[in-house]
Amino acid sequence: MGHVEFKRVTRRFDNGHEALKEVSTEFPEGSMTFLTGHSGAGKSTFLKLLLAADSPTRGSILVNGVDLKGISKRGLARYRRNLGVVFQDHHLLAQRTVYDNVAIPLRVIGMREKDVERRVRAALTGVELIGKEGLYPRHLSTGEQQRVGIARAVVNRPKILLADEPTGNLDPELSRHIMYRFARFNQMGTTVIVASHDVGLIEEMGSRTLCLEQGRIVAEIPARQEGNQAEEHPVAV
Amino acid sequence: MPFRQTDPWPSDTRSAGGWLRDHRRVGGESFYFVSARLGTSLLVWLVVGIALALPAGLWIIQVNMAEVSAGWEGRPGLSVYFDLDATQAEIDDTAAMVGQQGSITQVEVTTQDEALAEFKVYSGLGDSLSLLGENPLPASMRALLTPGVVTAELDRLAAQIGKREGVAEVVVEKTWLERLNDLSAVVRRLGLMLGVLFGIGAILVTASSVRLAIEARLEELRVLKLVGATSGQIRRPFLYFGALYGFGGGVIAAMLIALTLLILEPPLTSLLGSYQRELNLSGFDPLFLLWLLAAGSLLGVIGSMVAVRQRLSRLEVL
Ligand SMILES: Nc1ncnc2c1ncn2[C@@H]1O[C@H](COP(=O)(O)OP(=O)(O)OP(=O)(O)O)[C@@H](O)[C@H]1O
Ligand SMILES: [Mg+2]
Repeated sequence: MGHVEFKRVTRRFDNGHEALKEVSTEFPEGSMTFLTGHSGAGKSTFLKLLLAADSPTRGSILVNGVDLKGISKRGLARYRRNLGVVFQDHHLLAQRTVYDNVAIPLRVIGMREKDVERRVRAALTGVELIGKEGLYPRHLSTGEQQRVGIARAVVNRPKILLADEPTGNLDPELSRHIMYRFARFNQMGTTVIVASHDVGLIEEMGSRTLCLEQGRIVAEIPARQEGNQAEEHPVAV
Repeated sequence: MPFRQTDPWPSDTRSAGGWLRDHRRVGGESFYFVSARLGTSLLVWLVVGIALALPAGLWIIQVNMAEVSAGWEGRPGLSVYFDLDATQAEIDDTAAMVGQQGSITQVEVTTQDEALAEFKVYSGLGDSLSLLGENPLPASMRALLTPGVVTAELDRLAAQIGKREGVAEVVVEKTWLERLNDLSAVVRRLGLMLGVLFGIGAILVTASSVRLAIEARLEELRVLKLVGATSGQIRRPFLYFGALYGFGGGVIAAMLIALTLLILEPPLTSLLGSYQRELNLSGFDPLFLLWLLAAGSLLGVIGSMVAVRQRLSRLEVL
């Protein structure tokens, strides 16, 4: 459902800077992968290309064997309905309640309000925000806002979940909590790709990790072959 | 032929019901947005309303002018005055020639004697005029035109008659109604010009209001695009928006025109009354209102399309 392949992808900006250089890698369906590397290594660029918010200068990105370059405008919208995206600065709408923020992807696909409500409640329960549906983002703590962003990303059961520094400014406990939540989505079949600086946490999670440096993949650490990480997590969910 | 897939997940998750729901939701939202900013909305409505009212009002005036002149019985014609020493043969020849013209329906000759007799009756001077000895009144001829004859034809005929022996003067009668006809052509063209100019004005006004609305919601639009809203879905609220602005403008225009007609009615009645015509303003009917509202909405939608093109064609998700 969510197989991704980068084939010698280069992204060169107008000023001549190459944020990605001939990157080739694969994300099998249902896999979980961390992207790590120093600031400026090209992590965000990598995710933006996969989001089709930007396109490669050379090379191609295939999702389920389909080149993103060849997708029509309509097909692109359809593609994005199957993605879940989490940002560090969560991009919540200030004038909408928590409930309405989470409901956006469902309303875009024209889901019945009854089903919207069921799904939104489930997603908010998953990030432990039930009871705060009526609040506005400014009323929430940073961590809570981040969790609203996560609820919005997963509410439509995406086939691929992308997260760019989702734990950037959260305390360690909350960061772990969120990472384990991603691991749970991954266990339900979603392909998950997370860009993060948090080396310690990445280590703890034991998932496959790609290290980027100046636009190249310089190391790949395969997933640790041991039980289910998420279930060992001390935070009860 | 191998099947080439162009979509990672080809099955569309959207249904026709979803499409309808989306329209309903967006319509409701736009309505809310317009009513929540009633001050701005009223201003836009007023501007669009005035822009529509002027050409539409002129159109109504023109329609009525054309109707008044079309319903008029007395058609314009020619009067020919002969020289005092014109012979009867010359008079008869001219009358025969004019009578043969296709543009003339009726010719009526008044001899010198008849003219004098008529004058005696009208003036009340009676026999005292016979003291003059010689009859000072010329023989004359009146010709009525076939309906629909153009003025140019009439002028050509008048020139032709004026060159004939025994003819002293040819008077082409242009009635006030004929002038009204000319005037109504002027009004029609003026209305067209104003319609085009003010239509562009209305489009620009809605375009700039819609552009403001887009700016105010840019963040939201990015999120919508991010979660896979189609361009149509992103455009939709603003098209509704423009349509509401235009429609409201149409309503204002209708009110302005109705008010103007109400104010104009008494003087118009007395003006037309003096020509023994009863006032019967036409044109301001349900069909006209429908056109007005449709035109307003259309201009609004065009305006918002302009804004959407300018502002949303290059919208990026990040
Ligand atoms: N539009 C652009 N024009 C020119 N250079 C750009 C542009 N966008 C990004 N870059 C450059 O590309 C490089 C990679 O940027 P990117 O945002 O992908 O890094 P990152 O790995 O996400 O870093 P961070 O951890 O700080 O978020 C940086 O050096 C950046 O300056
Ligand atoms: Mg980054």
